[in-house]
Amino acid sequence: MTTLPPPPDAHPSEAGQGRTPPTETTGDPDAVHPSGALDQRAVSAVEAKTPATRKQKRSGSPSAMADIWNRYKRNKLAVIGLVAVAVILLMAIFQPLITPYDPFEQNLYNTTAPPDGDHILGTDVLGRDMFSALVYGARLAMVVGIGTMLMSAIVGVSFGALAGYRKGLADTLTMRFTDILLAFPLLVGAILVVRIFGQGVLPVAIALVVFGWPTSARLMRGQTLALRESEYVEAARSIGASDTRIVIRHILPNAIAPVVVYAFTSVGVVIVAMAALSFLGVGVPADVPEWGRLISQSYSFIRVPGSEHLWLAPAIAIVITTLAFAFVADGLRDALDPKLRGGN
Amino acid sequence: MGKFILRRIGQAALVVLAATLLVFLGTFALGDPFASTGDRQVSPAVAEQNRAIFGLDKPLPVQYLTYVGNLATGNLGVEYDQRRPVADMLIEVLPNTARLAIVAIIIDILIGVIAGIIAAVKRYSFVDVLVTVTSTIAIGVPTFVLAVIFLAYLSGWGPFPVVPRPFGSEVPWYQEVLLPAFTLAIVDAAFVARLMRGSMLEVLRADYIRTARAKGLSERTVIGKHALRNSIIPVVTYVGVSLGGLLGGALITETIFQYNGVGYLLYRAIGGNNVPIIAAVVIFAVLAFVLLSLIVDILYAFLDPRIRLE
Repeated sequence: MTTLPPPPDAHPSEAGQGRTPPTETTGDPDAVHPSGALDQRAVSAVEAKTPATRKQKRSGSPSAMADIWNRYKRNKLAVIGLVAVAVILLMAIFQPLITPYDPFEQNLYNTTAPPDGDHILGTDVLGRDMFSALVYGARLAMVVGIGTMLMSAIVGVSFGALAGYRKGLADTLTMRFTDILLAFPLLVGAILVVRIFGQGVLPVAIALVVFGWPTSARLMRGQTLALRESEYVEAARSIGASDTRIVIRHILPNAIAPVVVYAFTSVGVVIVAMAALSFLGVGVPADVPEWGRLISQSYSFIRVPGSEHLWLAPAIAIVITTLAFAFVADGLRDALDPKLRGGN
Repeated sequence: MGKFILRRIGQAALVVLAATLLVFLGTFALGDPFASTGDRQVSPAVAEQNRAIFGLDKPLPVQYLTYVGNLATGNLGVEYDQRRPVADMLIEVLPNTARLAIVAIIIDILIGVIAGIIAAVKRYSFVDVLVTVTSTIAIGVPTFVLAVIFLAYLSGWGPFPVVPRPFGSEVPWYQEVLLPAFTLAIVDAAFVARLMRGSMLEVLRADYIRTARAKGLSERTVIGKHALRNSIIPVVTYVGVSLGGLLGGALITETIFQYNGVGYLLYRAIGGNNVPIIAAVVIFAVLAFVLLSLIVDILYAFLDPRIRLE
């Protein structure tokens, strides 16, 4: 490897290799990779010198993203899921504008009313407009779900990359720590954390992050362990790139795929967990219209005919949201698939 | 193989020990259980005396070591509320949860594995579509929602007993366990069916299946003996881990159906900050989970020789 000529510019080789997996693993130099990696690297090596193309490479290889999107579009369910997620997100963001009533406003003279002209979905046990309560619940779910997902991903990827790249003591410590956290039943652990930190949305998010990051960490560690033996890592190391640079610029883009897929699935898990916590009375305060809380408040009305909307509406909301994120995760997994397999 | 088992046992023991530390710290952070709360006013002298009785005035490391020492000898202490021995309470509810877990897993395996196999073998048929669609929807439904729905519409119908149990009526265990087991099983069966189907589809593509068919073996032998044995491995792993989780007590399901198991005990204890019970149950849940993961890992190494070389 000492005879390797110095790369013309740090970017072209990375753009070629950051986006596409090294084809050495297939052993066949003529093997056509789905995104034409071979062509890309040859082309990039030749065109690297011209300033125009150099600028293009710096912004990232455009065809890789388009490739992923094309593959994603093929999966109809995934597209439906994406649309659903977008709708829920929009509902959450524009909640103050689309709710006809204040979700917190209780009207104890008009409780458990069935849907009618005034209240599209009826009113709940405390007289709140069910539709407004649902939309506010969507807002909570999105904030906690996506927030927790991002925090878990950040913490998990950091620890996972550290463990996978450094190996040795860091690896053993991280692995044992994740073992311990994963051995706790999620709900029980979350209840304990919330009881310690008090009620509220933030303690719930903290609790779910504490028990959510181990899985992301493990995924990242697995990928890092595999990728650190790649030739481009060795090449980068040989030109004196620091560990941090190698991990962030070389390993991370290739390793991130399963973590991203799991992150989207985990949003559904987080939303269900938060709903379960509120159902048990732990977590979000009692007057906040959260989906799980709505269901628990309508517990005594379950067998009463004419009041199905009380628990059916929030239940369907939870199911739809969870499924939407699960479909998106599935679609992402298929769209990123060649990257997944090629990354090893 | 022996070295592998020893290593895994060592890891498991370490995890359980670390878990006891975490639980201890967590229950300590819950605060003073004998302080005045709301309408229960306690004079400071009485609170102090209560704390001394339970050894809560000793320094933390001493408390922890005492606790671990007690755990090792099987002494789970006495709970704060009515001074009943925690071990007795745990043993009282444990068989219920065990029964629930086992019945749930059995239903789980029966529905999930069979549906998965049929869906894979008869690909693109009506059964396959039905299984795929149903299992996809089922994984999005949280357990407690399903429990609430079942509670609403299935209690008192057919073999399912009426929940909540009317005061004074006796319901045999095999009836009482049905509804919660069914709830738990349905969601899990969806996962198992998908896993089984995916695994079976992958196995059916393999060369040795083609060879077996070329040899002239009956389809039943090909699927039932060769394909099944190889595709069942990930399912075994998943089911084992699932069982470990269930033995820790399915908190929400048991609470909703008021099923007197470990989860329900924990729920009541958390409500009253009854630390000895909380600690004992959580550690038990961790222990059950770790033990079952260990068994599953060893079984996996037994079934798949490649793992042993790790």
